[in-house]
Amino acid sequence: MSTQTTPPWLIVTLREVETKLRDKAFIISTLVTLLLIIGSIAVTGFLATRTTHFTVAATDQVSLTVLNQAASDAEEQLKINVEQLPAEAAAAQLDAGQIDATLSQNSANKFMLTGSDEVPVKLQGELREATEKVLTAQLLTSAGLNADQLPGDDALEVAQMHGDAERSSMIQAMAFLFSFLFYMSAIIFGMPIANSVIEEKQNRVVEILASAINLRQLLAGKILGNVILALAQLLLFLAVGLLAAYLSPVQIPFLGVVSQVAGWFVVFFLGGFLVLAGIWATLGALASRTEDLQQSSGPVVGVLMAVLFIGIYAKGGFLVIASYVPIVSSVAMPIRLLGGEVSLVEPITSLAITLATCWFTILFAERIYRRAVMHTGGALTLRKALKLEL
Amino acid sequence: MLELHQISRSFSGTKVLDEVSFAVPRGALTGFVGANGAGKTTTMRIIMGLLSANSGHVSLDGKTLSTPTRPSFGYMPEERGLYPKQPIIDQLIYLGQLHSLSRATARERAMELLSRFGLEHRAKSKLESLSLGNQQRVQVAAALLHEPDVLVLDEPFSGLDPLAVDAMSSILADYAARGVPVLFSSHQLDLLDTLVDHLVIIQDGKIRANASAQDLRAAHTSRYQLSLGADAGWLRTEPGVEVIDLSGSNALVSFATVADSQRVLAHALSRGNVTEFAVHRPALADIYREIIA
Repeated sequence: MSTQTTPPWLIVTLREVETKLRDKAFIISTLVTLLLIIGSIAVTGFLATRTTHFTVAATDQVSLTVLNQAASDAEEQLKINVEQLPAEAAAAQLDAGQIDATLSQNSANKFMLTGSDEVPVKLQGELREATEKVLTAQLLTSAGLNADQLPGDDALEVAQMHGDAERSSMIQAMAFLFSFLFYMSAIIFGMPIANSVIEEKQNRVVEILASAINLRQLLAGKILGNVILALAQLLLFLAVGLLAAYLSPVQIPFLGVVSQVAGWFVVFFLGGFLVLAGIWATLGALASRTEDLQQSSGPVVGVLMAVLFIGIYAKGGFLVIASYVPIVSSVAMPIRLLGGEVSLVEPITSLAITLATCWFTILFAERIYRRAVMHTGGALTLRKALKLEL
Repeated sequence: MLELHQISRSFSGTKVLDEVSFAVPRGALTGFVGANGAGKTTTMRIIMGLLSANSGHVSLDGKTLSTPTRPSFGYMPEERGLYPKQPIIDQLIYLGQLHSLSRATARERAMELLSRFGLEHRAKSKLESLSLGNQQRVQVAAALLHEPDVLVLDEPFSGLDPLAVDAMSSILADYAARGVPVLFSSHQLDLLDTLVDHLVIIQDGKIRANASAQDLRAAHTSRYQLSLGADAGWLRTEPGVEVIDLSGSNALVSFATVADSQRVLAHALSRGNVTEFAVHRPALADIYREIIA
């Protein structure tokens, strides 16, 4: 009979991957997430570049000045075409839908902006500023003053010692993204490790498996299979997201830094996920039915929620501490790296801590697994499981 | 030959196996019987390396089995163990690969076994869609995939219909005939009579009998079946005769000596017709009941 020398852990790994790739729910959720990523970047780009056109008629000279002022002040995405018409003609054209609004001066200080069946809000804002400017300029001129001598709204300048404001908002956005990706992967790929351990325990298939191969190899194969899947999915999301951002017509600032830190995130993600994988496997071994997992997974889900919130909200000293705590550091350290003021020693030290924790967790998981997985009957506590004899 | 040498095992202070020793010879089917909780499953798990013994060891052909895995053994656990929601062929290939078969060989072997069980057309069905009997057949196929050197089957007959029992019996006999030591446990004592060559009886973690079926029967053949032409009640007062069962003209008796048996036969003939005077061949089930009583 033809035999093979493929190591058992690899057979288990391949099977985990194969089973997942055939799972329709998994394929669909991955595709939906991809579409969401591409969609949100495309929508942002579209909204950022879309230009709105308004045609507004002035019925008198001052209104014309106001409209011209508004047209020259308007931001890039807003174009105002200015026309001058007699009041009646303007009303007729507005009624016919040929223009969007008319502007006329009612009294010295009052203007009337008239729309057909709506007055566009954007236009209102733009014209409010322009009327104020024009009227102020008129007043000043009559008082013999020049408008340029007045203090403008740029009198207050803003600076921050570390980083800059735009960078801060980029960090905020990326922090949310990293936290969310980690949280999602930890649940999507962590939970199945526990479930597949429970399934094998519940069906007693584990007795056949354990008599054929070493349980360490079985555990390693399971963890590795899910790590590969999680990492592949993460890389896919990051790659597609970054590619869409590059291709987007809008200039997204800091794309270089973001791509670099994304690399770090992948490395930290791997470390954090391995620690979690060990914990999920232990929980699976302790449970005797899938229902037990709902109770025992509470603390893990709690930690993951903490990761999510620390990622989104943590600042300053708290973030620094978090960036050294395994699992949490998977998100916290990349966020600090985005700030750009972290020396290389820091992420490497944090990574070393995570990898050491990882090693211990997996050893511990194996110890529990070997004892608890042959146990039938109710769910076990950690203490009981450690007391079981092989 | 698979041998257990003075295996003892306790679970949280309770002794479950007490110096269990027996052999599973090659070329014979060995039945392993005992009440629920007698220690059968624990013994089998220790043979398979799934549990460790507190003392004693297991050996195959004189060599102690030291590693915890037995990739060359075929095993069918008591609580059936396969993946209910996966296609049969996929899981058989997976298990074959874990037993060191190449993927192609595993597929070939799996299809071969499935067609032997008449299940080749269900290869792609999910296990849970099969009847219990057919699931059991798949379970056996899983144990036989890698042409095992030793077969250990925990309750292989439970839940099978009579035809499936026949099919399973012939497969086990087949493997035994090839020289593979086959150990199986069963609650169906009537099956043992026609099937086993060797019987091991366990009670409360202790081995109560361990012998070939032939020897066991020989050791329990001190009984005679008598059928007379008239009432057999007189046997009760006959010296050297113990009446075990008596109804009308039929009696099951045992004699103190061979001379007693010949004297009683002569007496019976002098009283009238003797339609039967035969050594009573006990069923293994009866021997089992007698031993654990």
